[in-house]
Amino acid sequence: MKCRNVQKKFSAYQDRELKPREQEEVNSHLLICRSCREQYAEFEGLWETLGEMEEIHPDPWFYQQIVRKIKEPGEHRLFPSLQWVFRLLRAPVIASILLIIGLMAGSYLGSILGRSDLFPFQNNPLSDSQGTFFTSMRVFDPAPPGTLAEGYLRMVSYKEDDSR
Amino acid sequence: MDKDITNEDLMARIAEGDEYAFQILVDRHQTSVLNLIYRFVGDRTQAKDLAQEVFIKVWQAAKSYKPEAKFTTWIYRITANLCFNELKSSRRKKWFQFVRPDADHETRTEEDLPDSSPSAEDLLLAKERTRQIADALQSLPENQRMALILKRYDDLSYGEIAQVLGCSIPAVESLLFRAKGTLQKKLKNFQK
Repeated sequence: MKCRNVQKKFSAYQDRELKPREQEEVNSHLLICRSCREQYAEFEGLWETLGEMEEIHPDPWFYQQIVRKIKEPGEHRLFPSLQWVFRLLRAPVIASILLIIGLMAGSYLGSILGRSDLFPFQNNPLSDSQGTFFTSMRVFDPAPPGTLAEGYLRMVSYKEDDSR
Repeated sequence: MDKDITNEDLMARIAEGDEYAFQILVDRHQTSVLNLIYRFVGDRTQAKDLAQEVFIKVWQAAKSYKPEAKFTTWIYRITANLCFNELKSSRRKKWFQFVRPDADHETRTEEDLPDSSPSAEDLLLAKERTRQIADALQSLPENQRMALILKRYDDLSYGEIAQVLGCSIPAVESLLFRAKGTLQKKLKNFQK
């Protein structure tokens, strides 16, 4: 048996879950292979280390607390048979509430932004400050002024004009 | 005399509303259930609450209980399901409450803070070791962690672990192989 195959069986070997023949094969291999023996010792070491994990003990009144909980059902035990319905409905209800809040916020913002005093340029010529506002908004253009993209677009359009 | 009564007989008596039988059953299994949960969730208070929940479920399910599998496998299955559900819901709660992911760890560390008196140095070191082992266990994926705890501390066979987790025996073998590999790397410096 090759070392690699043996090492794959270490866990089951340690837990005595291999078939008797396999268990014997691993056993024989460990007797002759020092490297595998060392690796298996690490497996055993890990098991020992895990044994250091503390054990806790229940309170003396553990049973009484259980009985009290059974006899005095709390709020969460109301309609226990319908708990799954509440659980099932929770997500859609939350989603609906969020949707309604979103729609209300959207319509409110829309009504504010739609007011004419915020967009006077729709009817009147642009003032200086409005002009500045729109120039600054041009940073959101696909090719804002003064950028390489704008230069490229100009160059392309110049060539097209030239070819005519 | 109580020791002679089997778990299955106790369950039959509990189904008829016998509280004394229930008390015997709780006394018999409380430590193993409590420790299984404690090792899985890593928090004492939470473990105690969940262990009580397990026994409440046992009480409620007594009438429908059929002794098809070993009783311990059945109660461990209830415990494992409760642990997995608790983990899911606490993750959800954390997400909604914007709690930092390591909040549990901090709670545990505070609770387990050792006595700071100099004479308690050994105790401090031992507690630190325990804490790091617990942290390594906590870092494992849920199924691997549960399989490892059931094997290491409760000495369940692969077949029994498969029944508790609701998976196949080869799957258990694989879970344990991977869990041991991960822990070996994490706890390499700890081994004596």
